[in-house]
Amino acid sequence: MKKFEFNTANKKKYQELLTHYDDIQSALMPVLHLAQEQHSWLSPEVVAHISELMGIPEIKINEVISFYDMFYDHPTARNVVQVCTNITCSMFGGREIHKGILDHFQLHNMRPSQDGKLYIQKMECLGACEMAPCMRINNIYEGHLTLKTAVQKLEVLP
Amino acid sequence: MSIANKADYQNFTLLSYHHIPSVHHLEIFEEAGGYEMMKKCFTLDPEKIKEEVKNSGLRGRGGAGFPTGVKWGFFSKDRNQRKYLLCNADESEPGTFKDRYLLEINPHILVEGMIISAFALGTQRGYIYIRGEFYEQAMILEKAVKDAYKRGYLGKNILGSGFDFELVVHRGAGAYICGEETGLISSLEGQKGRPKLKPPFPAIKGYRGLPTIVNNVETLAAVPWIMRCGAAAYKKWGTEKSPGTKLFSISGDVNRPGVFELPLGIPLIEVIEKHCEGVREGNKLKAVIPGGSSAPIFTAEIAKEVRMDYEDIAQKGSMLGSGAIIVLDETRSIPDILKWTLEFYHHESCGQCTPCREGTGWMEKIFKRAEQGEGKLSDIELLDKVAFNMRGRTICALSDAAAMPTQGIIKAFRGELESYIKIQMKNR
Ligand SMILES: Cc1cc2nc3c(=O)[nH]c(=O)nc-3n(C[C@H](O)[C@H](O)[C@H](O)COP(=O)(O)O)c2cc1C
Ligand code: SF4
Ligand code: FES
Repeated sequence: MKKFEFNTANKKKYQELLTHYDDIQSALMPVLHLAQEQHSWLSPEVVAHISELMGIPEIKINEVISFYDMFYDHPTARNVVQVCTNITCSMFGGREIHKGILDHFQLHNMRPSQDGKLYIQKMECLGACEMAPCMRINNIYEGHLTLKTAVQKLEVLP
Repeated sequence: MSIANKADYQNFTLLSYHHIPSVHHLEIFEEAGGYEMMKKCFTLDPEKIKEEVKNSGLRGRGGAGFPTGVKWGFFSKDRNQRKYLLCNADESEPGTFKDRYLLEINPHILVEGMIISAFALGTQRGYIYIRGEFYEQAMILEKAVKDAYKRGYLGKNILGSGFDFELVVHRGAGAYICGEETGLISSLEGQKGRPKLKPPFPAIKGYRGLPTIVNNVETLAAVPWIMRCGAAAYKKWGTEKSPGTKLFSISGDVNRPGVFELPLGIPLIEVIEKHCEGVREGNKLKAVIPGGSSAPIFTAEIAKEVRMDYEDIAQKGSMLGSGAIIVLDETRSIPDILKWTLEFYHHESCGQCTPCREGTGWMEKIFKRAEQGEGKLSDIELLDKVAFNMRGRTICALSDAAAMPTQGIIKAFRGELESYIKIQMKNR
C-alpha cells in the first residue's frame, strides 16, 4: 500500500484552506476536493492521511465521501464524464446518450474502462438545461449533444 | 467610454451589466458603475440598508419566496458577535440554471451584493456555497473574490470603514439536498448534507451553532440595485406581493431556451411566445412546469392564463419556486416526466425521515411496476395516497417537493396516466 501525501504545491494549498474556516472540520470538503484533484479518487490511503492531518476519524470521512456524488471511493479514470439524465435532458435524449455511450465503449455506469481512459457517470440535473442534452467532461460542459457527437467527443480524449 | 460599456439600470436590476464584454474583470465592472453602491453603503447606517431592502419587498429567490428584509430582521444586531452570511449557489433544483448564468458572466455583482449585505447584517465572514459541478464558475468567482481582496474591498477594515469581511468560495460535491439551507449548513460544517430540524432557524442558530443568514445568489445580487435606485423604484416592477424582476430559466420545447430577466407578474404565455420565440417546430403547447421539478405541472389551458408571480401561481395550484420553467409540447409523454421526477427525488432523499425515505422509494416502485405492465388503475390512487402522506411531516421540504409534482400530475393528467397503465398492461 503506497502512502499518500499532498505534493508540495498542495501542502501549501492545504495550509491556506485551513485559514478559510473557523474550525478544521469545515475544511473537510475542500481538502477532499484537493486530494481528489491530486489522486483522482479518495483511496483508503488518502483517507488515512487526511484523517491523520485533520484529526477527523476515518469513519467520519468515509461517511462524507459516500454522501456526495462527486467524491469517489473507488478508482475513476483519466476522464470523468457526467451525463445528465434529468427532465429536460431526458426530453432530448439524455438517457439514450448515457446508455449509448456505455454500449459503445462497452462500459458500466461508474466503472472505469480497462485502459483507464473513461469513467461514465449518470447524473441528475447539471444546471445547464438550456443546452440539453448535456454532459460534463472533466469539468467542461458540453451541450446540444447527440449520441454521435457525444461519442466523438469522448473518442478524442487522451 | 462608450455607452455600450455602461450598465443598464433602467431595464434590468440583475442583468444590468450582462451586455458588457469581459465584465467579469473587476476594472470593467467598476468602470460601468460596479462597487459604487458598496462604497456608498459604508457611509450609511447599516439599519438604513436593512430598511431599504425590507421596503423593497424583495423575496428570496431560492424557492420559498420569504421576504428578505423580514429574514434579516430576525438576525442579531450585535455587530461583535460571530455571525455568518451564506450565499446559496447550490442551484440544483431541476430546470434551474439562472444563478450560473448570472455569476459566470458577472461574478462581481454577487460579491458587491454580499459585501453590502454583510455590512448591513454585521457578519464578519461569508461563504458562497456553489455546487460541485459548477467548477468553472467557482474558478470565476474565486478570481473575482481575489481581485476584490486586492482592491481592498474584502478583508480587514475595508476602505477604512472599520468593517471586516472575509469571503470564501466553497464547493459542494453533488447532492441536491445541500441546496436546502440547513443541509447546506451541515455540508459546510464538513458533514453529510443532512438537513436539521427547524426551529431554531439558521438566523438564530445556524452554521457552527451561530447566527447565520442564508440567501440565494439572485437575492443577494439584487441588493446593489435596490440601494442604487431605491425600494420605491424596485416596486415599480412586479405586483404588490411580488415586487421586482426575476430571472427565469426556461428550457424544454421552446425555440429559444435560456435565462431572461423579466418583471414578476408577466403572463407565462408572453414569456413563451415573445421571449422564447414560441413552442418549437410550431407544435402545440401541452403543459408547463412553472417553478422547477418540485412545482406541480400546469395544463396548457392554465399555462395560458397564469401570471408569473408568487400569488397567481399559488392560486392556480403550483408555485413560482426558483423560476425554472420547463415547457412541454404535444409530443411529450406525461408518464415519462413523472418517472424522471420520481427517480430524481428517490435518489436525492437524504434518508433521515421515514415518510420521505420510504415514500420516494415506494412511489418510484409503484410507477416502475406500472411501466412493466404490472400496474392497476388503482395505483393512481395509491400514488396519490403515498404522496399525501409524505406532506408536512418531515425535517425538510424535500418530501413535499417530491409529493407535490406527483399529486399535480395526477390531478392534471389522470386520463393520460390511466391510458398509460392500460397500454403497458396490454404490451406486457
Ligand atoms: C430540497 C430543497 C432544495 C433547495 N435547493 C435550493 C437551491 O439549490 N438554491 C437555493 O438558493 N435555495 C434552495 N432551497 C431553498 C433554501 O432552503 C433556502 O430557502 C434559500 O436558500 C434561502 O434563500 P432566499 O431567501 O434568498 O431564497 C432549497 C430548498 C429545498 C427544500
Ligand atoms: S425530508 Fe427527506 S431529504 Fe429532507 S431531511 Fe427528511 S429524509 Fe432528508
Ligand atoms: S436537465 Fe440536464 S442540465 Fe438540467
